[in-house]
Amino acid sequence: MSPVGSTARARVAILPADVADRIAAGEVVERPASVVKELVENALDAGAMAIDVEIRDGGRALIRVSDDGLGMPEEDARLAIARHATSKIRDAEDLVGVGSFGFRGEALPAIGSVSHLRIETATEDGAGVAVAVSGGTLVGVTPIARRRGTTVSVEALFYNTPARQKFLRGARSEWRAIVELMGTLALVRRDVRFRLVHDGKEQWQLPAAASLRARLGPLWGGEVAERLVAVDDVQGVIHVAGLIERPTDVGSTSRQVLVLVNGRAVRDVGIVRAAEAAYKSTIPAGTRPSLVLEVTLPGREVDVNVHPAKAEVRFVDRWTVERAVERAVRRALGTEEAIASVGAMPRPEMPQALFGTPLPVEVLRQAVPSAPAPLFEPEASSPDAAEDGGRPPAPTAAPAADPDLIVPPLIQVHRTYIAFERGDALVLIDQHSAHERVLYERFMGALERGDAPAQRLLFPLTLHLSPAEAEAFEGHRALFAGLGFDAEAFGGNSVLVHAVPNPHPRFDAERCLRETLAALTGDRLPSTIARHERLAATVACKAAVKAGDLLAPEEMRALFLALARTTLPAHDVHGRATILQLTWDELDRRFGRT
Amino acid sequence: MRFTITREKLQEGLAAVTPVVPNKTTLPVLANLLVQTTEKGIRISGTDLDIAVSTEITADVEAAGGITIPARKLSEIARELPAAPVRISATGDQRITLECGRAKFKLLGLPKTEFPSFPAVRFEKALKIGSGDLQRLISHTAFAASTEESRPILNGVLWEIRNDLMRMVATNGHRLAKMEIPVSGGQKAEHIIPPKALEQIKRLFPAEEQLEVGVGENHLGFRSPFTSVFTRLIEGPYPGYDQVIPKDNDKHAILDRAAFTSALRRMSVVASDQTHRIRLSFNSGMLKFAVSTPDLGEAQDELPIRYEGDPLDIGFNANYLLEMLRFMPTEEVRMTFRAPERATTLEPEGWSDPAKYLCLLMPLRLAD
Repeated sequence: MSPVGSTARARVAILPADVADRIAAGEVVERPASVVKELVENALDAGAMAIDVEIRDGGRALIRVSDDGLGMPEEDARLAIARHATSKIRDAEDLVGVGSFGFRGEALPAIGSVSHLRIETATEDGAGVAVAVSGGTLVGVTPIARRRGTTVSVEALFYNTPARQKFLRGARSEWRAIVELMGTLALVRRDVRFRLVHDGKEQWQLPAAASLRARLGPLWGGEVAERLVAVDDVQGVIHVAGLIERPTDVGSTSRQVLVLVNGRAVRDVGIVRAAEAAYKSTIPAGTRPSLVLEVTLPGREVDVNVHPAKAEVRFVDRWTVERAVERAVRRALGTEEAIASVGAMPRPEMPQALFGTPLPVEVLRQAVPSAPAPLFEPEASSPDAAEDGGRPPAPTAAPAADPDLIVPPLIQVHRTYIAFERGDALVLIDQHSAHERVLYERFMGALERGDAPAQRLLFPLTLHLSPAEAEAFEGHRALFAGLGFDAEAFGGNSVLVHAVPNPHPRFDAERCLRETLAALTGDRLPSTIARHERLAATVACKAAVKAGDLLAPEEMRALFLALARTTLPAHDVHGRATILQLTWDELDRRFGRT
Repeated sequence: MRFTITREKLQEGLAAVTPVVPNKTTLPVLANLLVQTTEKGIRISGTDLDIAVSTEITADVEAAGGITIPARKLSEIARELPAAPVRISATGDQRITLECGRAKFKLLGLPKTEFPSFPAVRFEKALKIGSGDLQRLISHTAFAASTEESRPILNGVLWEIRNDLMRMVATNGHRLAKMEIPVSGGQKAEHIIPPKALEQIKRLFPAEEQLEVGVGENHLGFRSPFTSVFTRLIEGPYPGYDQVIPKDNDKHAILDRAAFTSALRRMSVVASDQTHRIRLSFNSGMLKFAVSTPDLGEAQDELPIRYEGDPLDIGFNANYLLEMLRFMPTEEVRMTFRAPERATTLEPEGWSDPAKYLCLLMPLRLAD
């Protein structure tokens, strides 16, 4: 009996090496951009200080990466195209704390198996070698003459894997991916000169840059880069640096986000979210800032070997890292750099404090007693509240900075702004926005501590509300009480208000309460911010002095001091600027004095 | 119009009237003073439309007439004049000449017809009151009126006249001040007067003068032989203050006003500059003060007092308390309480005066 189905049933066999490589290639090499990434990272690992990348037809026709790195001797060049040949790791131990970019040893053989690959390399000027591979097969090794360094050319990518080729997008889209990738690499390695050419046209040429801002200029546009705010903060072993968008600029350009951990670009939602949390209450809901953040921490605190594309990392203590990021960004937003300005603005070498003396942000925050806030409903608990709970008992002593704060002569203009002169600029404060910020922080503090001062009224207020307003009141009742509104239902949709907060002498409690309820009923958006924050922001908005209110000199002075004591003086709770500065340079420029 | 007046008389008249002239106005003539000749001299008048002040001074009139003169300039000139008689004359509607010694000024005025006429106030059945009584009422109550604009009625001071007493009440909804002075032969009336007008009344009439009070449609006039003040009234009704004055407060404290004041002032240094919140703990024999302001600091103090009742912790706006204590006419004050959320009263203790004075203060919630 002849074996039935011997032809029908395929035998199990070990795949030939080249096929295995081609399959593996899919993991690492999925599109031209990933080839570029592997090759440029290899060049960087070889110590290159200048890297030229030439692309044709979105990388489908040609990807050529030339560097001035160490180069390889002939045997190394041959080995490089063998699978798992890598000069970077000798055993599994080395995987902990990997400091270089490419370490999986998969790149070159994988690329070689799906293209015509040519490596030209020389360890010093003069004698070198060229190794050619086609579809995974070595087709020739020839001696050549070249300068020190390596040039890898990848032609006809995926020529032998039609399925993969079919999934490639158009040349433009592949090119865009390459530009984005190169931008990231250029930001990571600012000490290296990069040149990028597409179809014979130079996209950019980036000389080695001394700072992140200098490198960002050609990539994001000089003006955009100039307006970014510098972040630089150390907490424990974690160093957070970078550039972030000013709250007033958020949304004006397309968003760009880059997070580097120990010099490696990573996709880390947690870090981005922490940075965005620091913007809380300074930008409109739904908008997100552009940022470049570099987080540096000891290698033992972070595991980068999570994903083959190496875009994800695992932190030993993620919470602490995110806290450090949020704090660093928040601090940066509290500096004068973060203030909106008219026209271009020279950057001080050291970020100055807003009002002349350093703002004791941490001291102020720590001065908030760590008592749990019983008024919170579970859903309303914020990350801030959680942090406060974990803090050691805080000193209640006053920050020493206040008495040193010199209030400059203030004048009110247009019954809307407070103007003063400070060092290098004319500064305008929006009285309403500023007061709103002051009250918001005060209300938030009162909500967290549960000790808002409520002034009892001689003549209780009776408010007749619409059904929707009554519902809004009922829904926020505990929070209203936390703010100092002591009220009880009075039949139908009426409420009787016995006590009100008294945040300032002009405060009109009845109007504030009415307008707040109207705002709460009008707002049907599913809010991303917690209810207590929204209420504090709404009440702050309604309770603040309005544009058009004439302020007495002592009122302006009090507002100035109170604003200086807030954590984010330059931004109001809707994401608008509270402070605008017009530098002398800008004034001189406009008057043609330069 | 032509008259001669002494420099001192001119300065005196201007000092009385100029304070009501508004600094900024959309109606140009309000920046001017109306100067008219009378039988005995001249009458100078000024107004900001809410309040009008008019005073008569002796002068030697040569030709009758009237004109308006820029108030600020005239005052400044009067201040700098040499010690010599001042001769003022008007030609036509607008031209004014002022001569004093060898100095000579020419000013441009406005026709007197442009000056707003005074409110129609009838003095026929005028109430007669002592200026001193009125001044006492004003200085003890007007401070408590509201300056916040949401409830205009509280921006005024209630003045009640009964057969046997005069009473003034002012409140801003957080605190209240009330004073009563016995009078004879009064008549029943109630008015709500802007504190700004009361300030002028207090300033302009000497304490020993008898005043006539005339009533108009919406105005009140106060008149002495030489000077009159007219004021717009705030339309009522005034809130029922009598209902909120506690009658059943069962805890009493007697405190030394000076010692209480200085302790409060000490505590205020670290009180929140917005709420001025301070905690008072009353126990038999001792009052304890405590202030705790987040971001700022804490303070404590103690003051021996006489106290009857269960121990009580209560919060106040220290500024309100200090202000009230300033107007208390005696060395000791009596405070009464019922509960931490109920009204507290302050009264002079051991006051041998026919007048009655009471202040009321609503507490601030304390954090526990």
